Amino acid sequence: MGKIAVFAGGLGSGKSELAINFALEEAKRAAGVVLADLDMVNPFFASREVGQVLERAGVKLFGPGGDLSFGDVPSIPAEIIALIQQENYLFIDLGGDEVGSLVMGYLSRFIKRWEEMEVFLVLNPYRPFSSELAGVSKVKQLIELAARVRITGIISNPNLVEETNLKTIIEGHRQVQEFADFLQLPVKFLCVEERFWDQLLPRYGSILKKLTLHLRPTWLQDT
Amino acid sequence: MKKVLMKGNEALAEGALIAGCRGFFGYPITPSSEIAEYMARKLPKIGGAFIQAESELAAINMIYGGSSTGTRVMTASSGPGISLKQEGISFISEAELPCLIVNVSRGGPGLGGIQPSQADYFQATRGGGHGDYRIIVLAPSSSQEMMDLAILAFELADKYRTPVMIMAEGTLGNLMEPVIVREAVTEFLDKPWATTGCVGRKPNVINTLHLSQEELEGRNRHLTEKYKMISKNEKRAESFLLDDAEIVVVAFGLLARIIKKSVMEARKKGVKAGLIRPVTLWPFPDEHIQAVSRTARTILSVEINMGQMVEDIRLAAGGKIPVEFYGRIGFTPNPEEITRQLLFIAEREGLL
Repeated sequence: MGKIAVFAGGLGSGKSELAINFALEEAKRAAGVVLADLDMVNPFFASREVGQVLERAGVKLFGPGGDLSFGDVPSIPAEIIALIQQENYLFIDLGGDEVGSLVMGYLSRFIKRWEEMEVFLVLNPYRPFSSELAGVSKVKQLIELAARVRITGIISNPNLVEETNLKTIIEGHRQVQEFADFLQLPVKFLCVEERFWDQLLPRYGSILKKLTLHLRPTWLQDT
Repeated sequence: MKKVLMKGNEALAEGALIAGCRGFFGYPITPSSEIAEYMARKLPKIGGAFIQAESELAAINMIYGGSSTGTRVMTASSGPGISLKQEGISFISEAELPCLIVNVSRGGPGLGGIQPSQADYFQATRGGGHGDYRIIVLAPSSSQEMMDLAILAFELADKYRTPVMIMAEGTLGNLMEPVIVREAVTEFLDKPWATTGCVGRKPNVINTLHLSQEELEGRNRHLTEKYKMISKNEKRAESFLLDDAEIVVVAFGLLARIIKKSVMEARKKGVKAGLIRPVTLWPFPDEHIQAVSRTARTILSVEINMGQMVEDIRLAAGGKIPVEFYGRIGFTPNPEEITRQLLFIAEREGLL
């Protein structure tokens, strides 16, 4: 993985959960991990909600702070421009769709570490507009235009939240793999909740990544 | 069965399309904007009209016009935007035009904040516009219900020729859940009143001006009769563990699901708790309240506001049972918070 990882994708594809998980994992190995929450599209279920968890694990959270964390005005902290040019592990969580990626378009001119950068397109084929190639292909194209960066890989995130089972993952991932082949992009990771990990590891090997959900309310089970 | 992972706002929009909605007129506002975005993407592809109006006032008057043609139409907004639409809602109610109005609520008064809220209960159920009118108000509690109640809303709107409102907390609009996508609605009521071109018939006129005393009173009596009929036929509520319940919580929307957890937890600790979840906020399901007034010890209304639905509960209970209130605003109570409240009441009442 490069030193800058950007998580882009459709609205509700799982970008924030993934960015949180990747940042927390990196923090186990390295110092100077920063998670930049640049979601200006929608403040509900954004990674800034888990600031304390991140800080405790040694991840520095960058995002609209204080009263602006639940603000209805697009704002990003100016320090991001410095961060993007420094030696650190930077995880960038963008907002949904091409509007969410616009902020990357602004930041792209400050990037010096192109060779260290990965731009992920997060795909959950169970989301509206992501179940068909036309939709996925369009969102990829629009995101690249808005973000002014090329997508370098796909993260497969097939799930139906609490109702996910092995079949959901296997069939969903097959679908994502088909999209990836068509888009000529590698699937870098397949993300699954911990409860599926053991059963899927033999099948998928090193692309399999364990997820802990941080933004999902726990009371949603059995209600 | 194929399921799609949808935000409540998306599920509602898809539900409207399934119901045959072919006109969306609105002005975006957090936390409702995903409804407009979804409609903007889909409506033009199926021969519908999506218009981002210049203001909420324009949008609600486009609803008046769109509905007059007999087309199923809707708008969506949040508190401040719904306030702006009130004049139009009064006009639409008097003109008896079916439509769907969605309020994905945020905290007020004034600009307030964009945190989830239920503080528009009075506005929705009493009507913020002028004159004697009522609108049906539905309160979904899941993404699936956002879809299903959108379909029901159009059915009720056509049946009674009335605006129907769906009111949901901002969290519900933005929460993703698996949804079974329903079959497209294929049967529609005739609308002989619609302004569809009057070749071979007398023109239909839709207006709300009634200058003569008799005509004005006649119109009001007609509407009142209609509201009585809706009240008689359309009350809906979900009951949860009420049979032996001593403390009955009343809560609506997504909040009611949080409280289900609290009720289950309280039961594990020996408190006989239950839940009534009004699905229609107007007409208010007062029979459900009356039934538990005879069997329970106390009622607790939990709301994300400073105490609004509690007034309807007290009216329904008619003084037969104490009705208490617990509310937050800016925050959605968590299950533990309400469990603690239930334990506190149980201890105070000697029910443990």
